[in-house]
Amino acid sequence: MIRQTRNRPSALVGGIRWLVLGVVAITMLIPMYTMVINAFKPQKDIIESPLLITPQSFTLDFLWAAITSSKFNVIAAYGITLLFVVVVNIFCILLSAPVAYVIARGRSKWHLGLLLLFVSGLFIPGQVTLIPVVFVLRMLGLINTIPGFILFETAATLPVTIFLFSAYLRSVPRDIDEAAALDGAGPVRAFWSCIFPIMKPVVATIVVLNSIGVWNDFVSPQIILGPSSGIYTVTTGVYAAVGQFSTDYTQVFPTLLLAVLPAMVFFIVMQRHIIGGLVAGATKG
Amino acid sequence: MSSTIAPQRRSGAAQRWRRRVPGLIMATPAVAVFLAMFVIPMILAGVLSFTDWTGYSLNFDFVGWDNYARAFRNPRSISAAVFTGVIALVGTLFCNLVGLAIAALISGPGRSNTILRTIFFYPYVISSLIIGFIWSAMLAPTGAVNGMLASFGLPAMPFLTDPTFAKASVIFTIVWSHFGFNMILFLAGIKSVPAEYYEAATVDGASRWQQFRSITVPLIAPVFTVNIVLTLVGLLKAYDVVLSLTDGGPAGSTQTIVYQILKDSFANSALGFGAAQSIVLLIVTAVIGLGVTLVRRRAEQKAVD
Repeated sequence: MIRQTRNRPSALVGGIRWLVLGVVAITMLIPMYTMVINAFKPQKDIIESPLLITPQSFTLDFLWAAITSSKFNVIAAYGITLLFVVVVNIFCILLSAPVAYVIARGRSKWHLGLLLLFVSGLFIPGQVTLIPVVFVLRMLGLINTIPGFILFETAATLPVTIFLFSAYLRSVPRDIDEAAALDGAGPVRAFWSCIFPIMKPVVATIVVLNSIGVWNDFVSPQIILGPSSGIYTVTTGVYAAVGQFSTDYTQVFPTLLLAVLPAMVFFIVMQRHIIGGLVAGATKG
Repeated sequence: MSSTIAPQRRSGAAQRWRRRVPGLIMATPAVAVFLAMFVIPMILAGVLSFTDWTGYSLNFDFVGWDNYARAFRNPRSISAAVFTGVIALVGTLFCNLVGLAIAALISGPGRSNTILRTIFFYPYVISSLIIGFIWSAMLAPTGAVNGMLASFGLPAMPFLTDPTFAKASVIFTIVWSHFGFNMILFLAGIKSVPAEYYEAATVDGASRWQQFRSITVPLIAPVFTVNIVLTLVGLLKAYDVVLSLTDGGPAGSTQTIVYQILKDSFANSALGFGAAQSIVLLIVTAVIGLGVTLVRRRAEQKAVD
Protein backbone atom coordinates (compact mmCIF):
# COMPACT_ATOMS: atom_id res chain seq x y z
CA MET A 1 0.00 0.00 0.00
CA ILE A 2 2.41 2.62 1.21
CA ARG A 3 5.40 3.25 -0.97
CA GLN A 4 8.61 2.89 0.95
CA THR A 5 10.22 6.21 0.18
CA ARG A 6 11.85 6.54 3.56
CA ASN A 7 15.47 7.36 3.09
CA ARG A 8 17.17 4.38 4.68
CA PRO A 9 19.41 5.44 7.51
CA SER A 10 22.93 5.06 6.28
CA ALA A 11 25.48 2.85 7.97
CA LEU A 12 27.06 6.00 9.38
CA VAL A 13 23.87 7.06 11.20
CA GLY A 14 23.42 3.54 12.55
CA GLY A 15 27.02 3.52 13.69
CA ILE A 16 26.68 6.83 15.52
CA ARG A 17 23.47 5.62 17.18
CA TRP A 18 25.19 2.54 18.55
CA LEU A 19 28.22 4.53 19.61
CA VAL A 20 26.06 6.97 21.63
CA LEU A 21 23.95 4.22 23.19
CA GLY A 22 27.06 2.15 23.90
CA VAL A 23 28.91 4.96 25.67
CA VAL A 24 25.89 5.88 27.81
CA ALA A 25 25.17 2.22 28.63
CA ILE A 26 28.76 1.66 29.75
CA THR A 27 28.59 4.80 31.90
CA MET A 28 25.44 3.44 33.52
CA LEU A 29 26.91 0.01 34.19
CA ILE A 30 30.46 0.83 35.30
CA PRO A 31 29.56 1.82 38.89
CA MET A 32 27.54 -1.36 39.36
CA TYR A 33 30.27 -3.48 37.81
CA THR A 34 32.92 -1.83 39.99
CA MET A 35 30.85 -2.31 43.11
CA VAL A 36 30.18 -5.98 42.41
CA ILE A 37 33.72 -7.06 41.48
CA ASN A 38 35.41 -5.05 44.23
CA ALA A 39 33.18 -6.49 46.94
CA PHE A 40 35.31 -9.64 46.67
CA LYS A 41 38.80 -8.11 46.60
CA PRO A 42 41.35 -6.98 49.17
CA GLN A 43 42.14 -3.25 49.45
CA LYS A 44 45.44 -3.42 47.55
CA ASP A 45 43.82 -4.95 44.46
CA ILE A 46 40.93 -2.47 44.56
CA ILE A 47 43.28 0.50 44.51
CA GLU A 48 45.68 -0.94 41.93
CA SER A 49 43.20 -2.44 39.48
CA PRO A 50 39.68 -1.23 40.26
CA LEU A 51 38.21 -2.48 37.00
CA LEU A 52 39.94 -5.85 36.69
CA ILE A 53 38.49 -9.14 37.81
CA THR A 54 41.21 -10.81 39.85
CA PRO A 55 40.29 -14.47 40.46
CA GLN A 56 43.54 -15.16 42.34
CA SER A 57 42.55 -12.80 45.17
CA PHE A 58 38.82 -13.60 45.17
CA THR A 59 37.48 -13.80 48.71
CA LEU A 60 34.11 -13.86 50.44
CA ASP A 61 35.63 -12.62 53.71
CA PHE A 62 34.78 -8.97 53.22
CA LEU A 63 31.21 -9.62 52.19
CA TRP A 64 30.80 -11.90 55.18
CA ALA A 65 32.36 -9.25 57.41
CA ALA A 66 29.84 -6.73 56.09
CA ILE A 67 26.93 -9.12 56.71
CA THR A 68 28.02 -9.82 60.26
CA SER A 69 29.33 -6.30 60.98
CA SER A 70 28.69 -5.04 64.49
CA LYS A 71 28.52 -1.49 63.11
CA PHE A 72 25.61 -2.19 60.79
CA ASN A 73 23.35 -5.19 61.16
CA VAL A 74 22.21 -5.37 57.56
CA ILE A 75 19.80 -8.27 58.03
CA ALA A 76 17.97 -6.43 60.81
CA ALA A 77 17.90 -3.31 58.62
CA TYR A 78 16.33 -5.29 55.77
CA GLY A 79 13.67 -6.60 58.14
CA ILE A 80 12.87 -3.24 59.74
CA THR A 81 12.77 -1.38 56.44
CA LEU A 82 10.53 -4.04 54.93
CA LEU A 83 8.24 -3.79 57.95
CA PHE A 84 8.02 -0.03 57.41
CA VAL A 85 7.25 -0.54 53.72
CA VAL A 86 4.43 -3.00 54.49
CA VAL A 87 2.86 -1.04 57.36
CA VAL A 88 3.03 2.32 55.57
CA ASN A 89 1.42 0.78 52.49
CA ILE A 90 -1.43 -0.68 54.57
CA PHE A 91 -2.11 2.55 56.45
CA CYS A 92 -1.78 4.62 53.31
CA ILE A 93 -4.40 2.54 51.48
CA LEU A 94 -6.76 2.36 54.48
CA LEU A 95 -6.66 6.14 54.83
CA SER A 96 -6.53 7.19 51.19
CA ALA A 97 -9.06 4.94 49.51
CA PRO A 98 -12.16 6.12 51.45
CA VAL A 99 -11.30 9.80 51.24
CA ALA A 100 -10.53 9.47 47.52
CA TYR A 101 -13.95 7.87 47.09
CA VAL A 102 -15.63 10.75 48.89
CA ILE A 103 -13.73 13.22 46.69
CA ALA A 104 -14.49 11.36 43.48
CA ARG A 105 -18.21 11.08 44.20
CA GLY A 106 -18.62 14.50 45.79
CA ARG A 107 -20.08 17.40 43.89
CA SER A 108 -19.71 20.29 46.31
CA LYS A 109 -16.96 22.87 46.73
CA TRP A 110 -16.02 21.08 49.96
CA HIS A 111 -14.95 18.04 48.01
CA LEU A 112 -12.88 20.11 45.60
CA GLY A 113 -11.29 21.86 48.58
CA LEU A 114 -10.47 18.48 50.09
CA LEU A 115 -8.73 17.40 46.88
CA LEU A 116 -6.78 20.67 46.69
CA LEU A 117 -5.72 20.31 50.32
CA PHE A 118 -4.08 16.98 49.65
CA VAL A 119 -2.71 17.87 46.21
CA SER A 120 -0.99 20.95 47.66
CA GLY A 121 1.20 18.42 49.44
CA LEU A 122 2.67 17.44 46.07
CA PHE A 123 4.45 20.78 45.87
CA ILE A 124 5.66 20.93 49.44
CA PRO A 125 9.17 19.58 49.88
CA GLY A 126 8.96 17.01 52.66
CA GLN A 127 12.19 18.23 54.25
CA VAL A 128 10.63 21.66 54.75
CA THR A 129 8.00 20.34 57.13
CA LEU A 130 10.32 17.85 58.77
CA ILE A 131 11.67 20.25 61.38
CA PRO A 132 8.28 21.30 62.80
CA VAL A 133 7.11 17.68 62.46
CA VAL A 134 9.75 16.81 65.05
CA PHE A 135 8.05 19.17 67.51
CA VAL A 136 4.56 17.89 66.74
CA LEU A 137 5.80 14.33 67.30
CA ARG A 138 7.50 15.40 70.51
CA MET A 139 4.19 16.81 71.77
CA LEU A 140 2.49 13.54 70.86
CA GLY A 141 5.28 11.64 72.62
CA LEU A 142 6.11 9.80 69.39
CA ILE A 143 9.52 11.23 68.49
CA ASN A 144 12.26 8.58 68.06
CA THR A 145 9.59 5.87 67.91
CA ILE A 146 8.46 3.54 65.16
CA PRO A 147 4.79 4.67 65.35
CA GLY A 148 5.90 8.29 64.98
CA PHE A 149 7.96 7.49 61.90
CA ILE A 150 5.15 5.45 60.36
CA LEU A 151 2.70 8.28 61.01
CA PHE A 152 4.90 10.76 59.14
CA GLU A 153 5.77 8.40 56.29
CA THR A 154 2.08 7.59 55.83
CA ALA A 155 1.19 11.28 55.70
CA ALA A 156 3.92 11.81 53.13
CA THR A 157 2.36 9.19 50.83
CA LEU A 158 -1.17 10.66 51.01
CA PRO A 159 -0.98 13.40 48.32
CA VAL A 160 0.11 11.18 45.43
CA THR A 161 -2.10 8.31 46.55
CA ILE A 162 -5.29 10.33 46.98
CA PHE A 163 -4.62 12.12 43.70
CA LEU A 164 -4.27 8.85 41.76
CA PHE A 165 -7.08 7.05 43.60
CA SER A 166 -9.64 9.79 43.03
CA ALA A 167 -8.62 10.11 39.36
CA TYR A 168 -9.16 6.36 38.99
CA LEU A 169 -12.45 6.33 40.91
CA ARG A 170 -13.92 9.00 38.65
CA SER A 171 -13.74 6.46 35.84
CA VAL A 172 -15.70 3.89 37.88
CA PRO A 173 -19.41 4.09 36.95
CA ARG A 174 -21.81 5.27 39.66
CA ASP A 175 -24.20 2.41 38.85
CA ILE A 176 -22.14 0.21 41.14
CA ASP A 177 -22.69 2.54 44.10
CA GLU A 178 -26.38 2.69 43.33
CA ALA A 179 -26.71 -1.07 43.05
CA ALA A 180 -24.99 -1.45 46.42
CA ALA A 181 -27.27 1.17 47.94
CA LEU A 182 -30.34 -0.69 46.66
CA ASP A 183 -29.06 -3.82 48.36
CA GLY A 184 -29.15 -1.83 51.57
CA ALA A 185 -25.44 -1.32 52.10
CA GLY A 186 -24.46 1.99 53.67
CA PRO A 187 -21.88 4.08 51.80
CA VAL A 188 -18.98 2.87 53.93
CA ARG A 189 -19.79 -0.78 53.42
CA ALA A 190 -20.66 -0.26 49.78
CA PHE A 191 -17.22 1.22 49.25
CA TRP A 192 -15.20 -1.51 50.91
CA SER A 193 -17.16 -4.45 49.54
CA CYS A 194 -18.08 -3.25 46.04
CA ILE A 195 -15.80 -0.44 44.94
CA PHE A 196 -12.47 -1.19 46.60
CA PRO A 197 -12.07 -4.59 44.90
CA ILE A 198 -12.27 -2.86 41.50
CA MET A 199 -9.34 -0.61 42.43
CA LYS A 200 -6.75 -3.38 42.16
CA PRO A 201 -4.74 -1.86 39.27
CA VAL A 202 -4.36 1.56 40.86
CA VAL A 203 -3.65 0.04 44.28
CA ALA A 204 -0.87 -2.03 42.70
CA THR A 205 0.59 1.11 41.13
CA ILE A 206 0.57 2.94 44.44
CA VAL A 207 2.08 0.02 46.34
CA VAL A 208 4.98 -0.08 43.88
CA LEU A 209 5.63 3.69 44.01
CA ASN A 210 5.25 3.95 47.79
CA SER A 211 7.43 0.92 48.41
CA ILE A 212 10.30 2.43 46.44
CA GLY A 213 9.77 5.74 48.23
CA VAL A 214 9.73 4.32 51.76
CA TRP A 215 12.56 1.87 51.15
CA ASN A 216 14.84 4.62 49.83
CA ASP A 217 13.86 7.41 52.20
CA PHE A 218 16.79 8.67 54.21
CA VAL A 219 16.11 12.09 55.73
CA SER A 220 12.90 11.21 57.60
CA PRO A 221 14.18 8.07 59.34
CA GLN A 222 17.47 9.83 60.08
CA ILE A 223 15.68 12.71 61.80
CA ILE A 224 12.50 11.14 63.19
CA LEU A 225 14.01 7.88 64.40
CA GLY A 226 17.45 9.38 64.94
CA PRO A 227 20.62 7.57 65.93
CA SER A 228 19.50 7.71 69.57
CA SER A 229 16.64 5.29 68.91
CA GLY A 230 19.02 2.56 67.75
CA ILE A 231 16.60 1.73 64.92
CA TYR A 232 18.37 1.69 61.58
CA THR A 233 16.79 1.38 58.15
CA VAL A 234 18.93 0.32 55.20
CA THR A 235 19.74 3.93 54.28
CA THR A 236 20.43 5.28 57.77
CA GLY A 237 22.43 2.13 58.54
CA VAL A 238 24.61 2.58 55.46
CA TYR A 239 25.10 6.23 56.37
CA ALA A 240 26.23 5.28 59.86
CA ALA A 241 28.50 2.48 58.60
CA VAL A 242 30.11 3.97 55.51
CA GLY A 243 30.38 7.55 56.73
CA GLN A 244 32.09 10.25 54.81
CA PHE A 245 35.11 9.61 52.61
CA SER A 246 35.66 6.19 54.00
CA THR A 247 38.65 4.91 52.08
CA ASP A 248 38.53 1.36 53.38
CA TYR A 249 36.98 0.03 50.20
CA THR A 250 36.83 -3.50 51.60
CA GLN A 251 34.07 -2.12 53.84
CA VAL A 252 32.50 0.36 51.42
CA PHE A 253 31.86 -1.90 48.43
CA PRO A 254 30.41 -4.95 50.22
CA THR A 255 28.16 -2.70 52.35
CA LEU A 256 26.88 -0.79 49.32
CA LEU A 257 26.36 -4.05 47.43
CA LEU A 258 24.23 -5.40 50.28
CA ALA A 259 22.25 -2.16 50.39
CA VAL A 260 21.55 -2.17 46.65
CA LEU A 261 20.79 -5.88 46.26
CA PRO A 262 17.14 -5.98 47.42
CA ALA A 263 16.24 -2.90 45.37
CA MET A 264 17.79 -4.44 42.25
CA VAL A 265 15.98 -7.75 42.75
CA PHE A 266 12.72 -5.85 43.23
CA PHE A 267 13.45 -3.84 40.09
CA ILE A 268 14.17 -6.88 37.94
CA VAL A 269 11.04 -8.70 39.11
CA MET A 270 8.71 -5.71 39.02
CA GLN A 271 10.15 -3.67 36.18
CA ARG A 272 7.00 -3.60 34.07
CA HIS A 273 4.86 -2.56 37.03
CA ILE A 274 7.30 0.14 38.08
CA ILE A 275 7.35 1.67 34.62
CA GLY A 276 3.58 1.32 34.25
CA GLY A 277 3.03 2.93 37.63
CA LEU A 278 5.35 5.82 36.86
CA VAL A 279 3.70 6.58 33.57
CA ALA A 280 0.23 6.34 35.11
CA GLY A 281 1.28 8.59 37.97
CA ALA A 282 2.83 11.24 35.74
CA THR A 283 0.25 11.36 32.96
CA LYS A 284 -2.83 11.59 35.19
CA GLY A 285 -1.82 15.18 35.99
CA MET B 1 -22.96 3.63 60.22
CA SER B 2 -25.83 1.67 58.68
CA SER B 3 -28.90 3.73 57.88
CA THR B 4 -32.09 2.87 59.68
CA ILE B 5 -34.95 1.93 57.42
CA ALA B 6 -37.81 3.29 59.50
CA PRO B 7 -38.90 6.61 58.03
CA GLN B 8 -38.53 9.28 60.64
CA ARG B 9 -39.78 12.80 60.56
CA ARG B 10 -36.83 15.02 61.16
CA SER B 11 -36.02 18.56 60.34
CA GLY B 12 -34.21 19.09 57.02
CA ALA B 13 -30.97 20.01 58.75
CA ALA B 14 -30.81 16.79 60.72
CA GLN B 15 -31.60 14.85 57.57
CA ARG B 16 -28.74 16.50 55.76
CA TRP B 17 -26.43 15.72 58.64
CA ARG B 18 -27.36 12.07 58.60
CA ARG B 19 -26.54 11.91 54.92
CA ARG B 20 -23.16 13.45 55.56
CA VAL B 21 -22.11 11.12 58.35
CA PRO B 22 -20.68 8.33 56.14
CA GLY B 23 -18.64 10.81 54.11
CA LEU B 24 -17.25 12.34 57.28
CA ILE B 25 -16.38 8.92 58.66
CA MET B 26 -14.49 8.11 55.47
CA ALA B 27 -12.66 11.40 55.15
CA THR B 28 -11.76 12.21 58.75
CA PRO B 29 -8.83 9.81 59.40
CA ALA B 30 -6.86 10.88 56.34
CA VAL B 31 -7.56 14.56 56.97
CA ALA B 32 -6.53 14.23 60.62
CA VAL B 33 -3.21 12.55 59.78
CA PHE B 34 -2.53 15.06 57.03
CA LEU B 35 -3.32 18.02 59.27
CA ALA B 36 -1.11 16.69 62.07
CA MET B 37 1.87 15.79 59.90
CA PHE B 38 1.68 18.37 57.12
CA VAL B 39 -0.58 21.37 57.59
CA ILE B 40 0.10 22.11 61.27
CA PRO B 41 3.88 21.70 60.79
CA MET B 42 3.68 24.08 57.82
CA ILE B 43 1.93 26.71 59.95
CA LEU B 44 4.40 26.05 62.75
CA ALA B 45 7.31 26.59 60.34
CA GLY B 46 5.74 29.88 59.32
CA VAL B 47 5.43 31.03 62.94
CA LEU B 48 8.92 29.81 63.91
CA SER B 49 10.48 31.67 61.01
CA PHE B 50 9.67 34.95 62.79
CA THR B 51 11.34 33.92 66.05
CA ASP B 52 14.89 33.50 67.28
CA TRP B 53 14.17 30.11 68.83
CA THR B 54 17.22 27.86 69.12
CA GLY B 55 15.15 24.70 69.34
CA TYR B 56 15.77 23.74 72.95
CA SER B 57 15.71 26.81 75.20
CA LEU B 58 12.34 27.72 76.65
CA ASN B 59 12.37 31.42 75.91
CA PHE B 60 12.32 32.97 72.48
CA ASP B 61 11.40 36.32 71.00
CA PHE B 62 9.63 37.37 67.88
CA VAL B 63 12.18 39.03 65.66
CA GLY B 64 10.05 40.05 62.71
CA TRP B 65 11.68 39.63 59.33
CA ASP B 66 15.22 39.30 60.71
CA ASN B 67 15.61 35.66 59.73
CA TYR B 68 14.49 36.37 56.19
CA ALA B 69 16.80 39.37 55.90
CA ARG B 70 19.61 37.16 57.15
CA ALA B 71 18.76 34.44 54.65
CA PHE B 72 19.14 36.93 51.80
CA ARG B 73 22.36 38.43 53.19
CA ASN B 74 24.19 35.46 54.65
CA PRO B 75 26.95 34.38 52.22
CA ARG B 76 26.44 30.69 53.13
CA SER B 77 22.74 30.86 52.34
CA ILE B 78 23.34 32.77 49.12
CA SER B 79 25.95 30.34 47.84
CA ALA B 80 23.71 27.39 48.74
CA ALA B 81 20.79 29.03 46.96
CA VAL B 82 22.90 29.74 43.87
CA PHE B 83 24.25 26.18 43.73
CA THR B 84 20.75 24.75 44.23
CA GLY B 85 19.53 26.94 41.37
CA VAL B 86 22.39 25.71 39.17
CA ILE B 87 21.56 22.08 40.05
CA ALA B 88 17.90 22.64 39.25
CA LEU B 89 18.45 24.45 35.94
CA VAL B 90 21.46 22.57 34.56
CA GLY B 91 20.24 19.25 35.94
CA THR B 92 16.75 19.69 34.47
CA LEU B 93 18.21 20.71 31.12
CA PHE B 94 20.53 17.70 30.87
CA CYS B 95 18.11 15.15 32.35
CA ASN B 96 15.54 16.10 29.74
CA LEU B 97 17.93 16.50 26.79
CA VAL B 98 19.60 13.15 27.44
CA GLY B 99 16.28 11.54 28.36
CA LEU B 100 14.62 12.73 25.15
CA ALA B 101 17.57 11.84 22.91
CA ILE B 102 17.87 8.33 24.34
CA ALA B 103 14.09 7.81 24.22
CA ALA B 104 14.08 8.79 20.53
CA LEU B 105 16.94 6.37 19.84
CA ILE B 106 15.36 3.37 21.59
CA SER B 107 11.66 3.95 20.94
CA GLY B 108 11.46 1.16 18.38
CA PRO B 109 10.37 -2.37 19.23
CA GLY B 110 12.95 -5.08 19.76
CA ARG B 111 14.82 -6.87 22.47
CA SER B 112 17.94 -4.73 22.43
CA ASN B 113 15.86 -1.60 23.06
CA THR B 114 14.13 -3.23 26.03
CA ILE B 115 17.47 -4.20 27.54
CA LEU B 116 18.87 -0.71 26.99
CA ARG B 117 15.77 0.83 28.60
CA THR B 118 16.43 -1.28 31.70
CA ILE B 119 20.09 -0.26 31.81
CA PHE B 120 19.25 3.46 31.60
CA PHE B 121 16.42 3.34 34.10
CA TYR B 122 17.63 1.10 36.93
CA PRO B 123 19.14 3.84 39.17
CA TYR B 124 15.56 5.02 39.78
CA VAL B 125 15.05 2.25 42.35
CA ILE B 126 18.27 2.92 44.26
CA SER B 127 18.22 5.55 46.98
CA SER B 128 20.02 8.81 46.18
CA LEU B 129 22.10 8.42 49.32
CA ILE B 130 23.54 5.12 48.11
CA ILE B 131 24.08 6.47 44.60
CA GLY B 132 26.11 9.28 46.15
CA PHE B 133 28.22 6.77 48.09
CA ILE B 134 28.79 4.66 44.97
CA TRP B 135 29.98 7.64 42.94
CA SER B 136 32.00 8.92 45.86
CA ALA B 137 33.92 5.63 45.79
CA MET B 138 34.27 5.96 42.00
CA LEU B 139 35.45 9.58 41.98
CA ALA B 140 37.58 9.68 45.14
CA PRO B 141 41.29 10.59 44.75
CA THR B 142 42.14 6.87 44.97
CA GLY B 143 38.87 5.79 43.39
CA ALA B 144 38.12 3.68 40.34
CA VAL B 145 37.96 6.52 37.81
CA ASN B 146 41.36 7.91 38.79
CA GLY B 147 42.69 4.34 38.80
CA MET B 148 41.45 4.02 35.23
CA LEU B 149 43.06 7.34 34.26
CA ALA B 150 46.34 6.20 35.83
CA SER B 151 46.33 3.00 33.79
CA PHE B 152 46.19 5.17 30.64
CA GLY B 153 49.08 7.21 32.03
CA LEU B 154 46.86 10.23 32.74
CA PRO B 155 47.10 12.41 35.86
CA ALA B 156 44.51 12.06 38.63
CA MET B 157 41.60 14.51 38.60
CA PRO B 158 40.31 16.33 41.73
CA PHE B 159 36.71 15.20 41.12
CA LEU B 160 35.60 15.74 44.72
CA THR B 161 38.40 17.88 46.12
CA ASP B 162 38.24 20.94 43.86
CA PRO B 163 35.11 23.14 44.23
CA THR B 164 34.38 23.46 40.50
CA PHE B 165 35.00 19.78 39.84
CA ALA B 166 32.92 18.82 42.88
CA LYS B 167 29.95 20.89 41.66
CA ALA B 168 30.21 19.25 38.25
CA SER B 169 30.44 15.82 39.91
CA VAL B 170 27.26 16.47 41.91
CA ILE B 171 25.34 17.52 38.80
CA PHE B 172 26.75 14.62 36.78
CA THR B 173 25.70 12.12 39.47
CA ILE B 174 22.20 13.60 39.63
CA VAL B 175 21.79 13.48 35.84
CA TRP B 176 23.24 9.95 35.74
CA SER B 177 20.64 8.72 38.21
CA HIS B 178 17.66 10.76 37.04
CA PHE B 179 17.55 10.94 33.24
CA GLY B 180 16.18 7.38 33.02
CA PHE B 181 13.00 8.56 34.73
CA ASN B 182 12.57 11.37 32.16
CA MET B 183 13.37 8.89 29.39
CA ILE B 184 10.58 6.56 30.53
CA LEU B 185 8.01 9.37 30.36
CA PHE B 186 9.28 10.51 26.94
CA LEU B 187 9.11 6.90 25.70
CA ALA B 188 5.50 6.62 26.85
CA GLY B 189 4.73 9.85 25.00
CA ILE B 190 6.50 8.81 21.81
CA LYS B 191 4.70 5.47 21.79
CA SER B 192 1.31 7.18 22.11
CA VAL B 193 1.76 9.06 18.81
CA PRO B 194 -0.46 7.36 16.20
CA ALA B 195 1.55 5.50 13.54
CA GLU B 196 -0.59 6.94 10.73
CA TYR B 197 1.02 10.35 11.22
CA TYR B 198 4.45 8.91 10.51
CA GLU B 199 3.13 6.92 7.58
CA ALA B 200 1.61 10.03 6.04
CA ALA B 201 4.83 11.95 6.58
CA THR B 202 6.84 9.14 5.03
CA VAL B 203 4.63 9.27 1.95
CA ASP B 204 5.33 13.01 1.78
CA GLY B 205 9.02 12.18 1.84
CA ALA B 206 9.85 13.67 5.24
CA SER B 207 13.13 12.50 6.74
CA ARG B 208 13.36 10.82 10.12
CA TRP B 209 14.66 14.02 11.68
CA GLN B 210 11.88 16.12 10.12
CA GLN B 211 9.30 13.65 11.41
CA PHE B 212 10.75 13.88 14.89
CA ARG B 213 10.85 17.69 14.79
CA SER B 214 7.41 18.33 13.37
CA ILE B 215 5.35 15.34 14.56
CA THR B 216 6.84 13.82 17.70
CA VAL B 217 7.98 16.92 19.57
CA PRO B 218 4.74 18.96 19.21
CA LEU B 219 2.55 15.95 20.01
CA ILE B 220 4.40 15.09 23.20
CA ALA B 221 4.36 18.68 24.50
CA PRO B 222 2.47 17.66 27.67
CA VAL B 223 5.24 15.18 28.50
CA PHE B 224 7.77 18.03 28.38
CA THR B 225 5.68 19.93 30.93
CA VAL B 226 5.44 17.01 33.34
CA ASN B 227 9.13 16.21 32.95
CA ILE B 228 10.31 19.78 33.45
CA VAL B 229 8.08 20.47 36.46
CA LEU B 230 8.84 17.19 38.22
CA THR B 231 12.59 17.49 37.64
CA LEU B 232 12.82 21.16 38.68
CA VAL B 233 10.76 20.64 41.84
CA GLY B 234 12.65 17.43 42.63
CA LEU B 235 16.12 18.92 42.17
CA LEU B 236 15.37 21.98 44.32
CA LYS B 237 15.18 19.47 47.18
CA ALA B 238 18.57 17.92 46.39
CA TYR B 239 20.17 16.73 49.60
CA ASP B 240 20.81 13.00 50.03
CA VAL B 241 23.15 12.71 47.07
CA VAL B 242 25.16 15.76 48.14
CA LEU B 243 25.47 14.43 51.67
CA SER B 244 26.95 11.12 50.57
CA LEU B 245 28.95 12.34 47.56
CA THR B 246 30.69 15.46 48.91
CA ASP B 247 29.08 16.21 52.29
CA GLY B 248 28.69 19.78 51.06
CA GLY B 249 32.43 20.18 50.54
CA PRO B 250 35.07 21.06 49.61
CA ALA B 251 34.86 24.18 51.79
CA GLY B 252 31.05 24.24 51.65
CA SER B 253 31.02 24.73 47.86
CA THR B 254 28.41 22.04 47.20
CA GLN B 255 25.97 22.80 50.02
CA THR B 256 22.36 23.02 48.88
CA ILE B 257 19.39 24.81 50.44
CA VAL B 258 18.06 21.69 52.15
CA TYR B 259 21.57 20.92 53.40
CA GLN B 260 21.63 24.38 55.01
CA ILE B 261 18.14 24.07 56.43
CA LEU B 262 18.87 20.79 58.17
CA LYS B 263 22.25 21.97 59.38
CA ASP B 264 20.87 25.24 60.81
CA SER B 265 17.86 23.55 62.38
CA PHE B 266 19.75 20.77 64.13
CA ALA B 267 23.52 21.14 64.24
CA ASN B 268 23.61 24.94 64.47
CA SER B 269 20.55 25.26 66.77
CA ALA B 270 19.14 28.13 64.73
CA LEU B 271 15.65 26.82 64.32
CA GLY B 272 14.01 30.10 63.43
CA PHE B 273 16.60 30.73 60.73
CA GLY B 274 16.17 27.20 59.37
CA ALA B 275 12.41 27.67 59.29
CA ALA B 276 12.73 30.96 57.39
CA GLN B 277 14.88 29.27 54.74
CA SER B 278 12.30 26.46 54.56
CA ILE B 279 9.52 28.92 53.86
CA VAL B 280 11.59 30.62 51.14
CA LEU B 281 12.25 27.24 49.52
CA LEU B 282 8.58 26.36 49.75
CA ILE B 283 7.48 29.58 48.05
CA VAL B 284 10.12 29.24 45.31
CA THR B 285 9.11 25.62 44.69
CA ALA B 286 5.41 26.44 44.48
CA VAL B 287 5.97 29.46 42.22
CA ILE B 288 8.26 27.51 39.86
CA GLY B 289 5.96 24.50 39.78
CA LEU B 290 2.85 26.54 38.99
CA GLY B 291 4.69 29.04 36.78
CA VAL B 292 6.26 26.42 34.52
CA THR B 293 2.95 24.61 34.27
CA LEU B 294 1.15 27.76 33.13
CA VAL B 295 3.85 28.79 30.64
CA ARG B 296 3.97 25.30 29.16
CA ARG B 297 0.16 25.14 28.93
CA ARG B 298 0.38 28.15 26.61
CA ALA B 299 3.15 26.53 24.60
CA GLU B 300 1.17 23.30 24.34
CA GLN B 301 -1.80 25.22 23.00
CA LYS B 302 0.46 26.84 20.39
CA ALA B 303 2.01 23.49 19.47
CA VAL B 304 -1.40 21.99 18.83
CA ASP B 305 -2.58 24.94 16.70
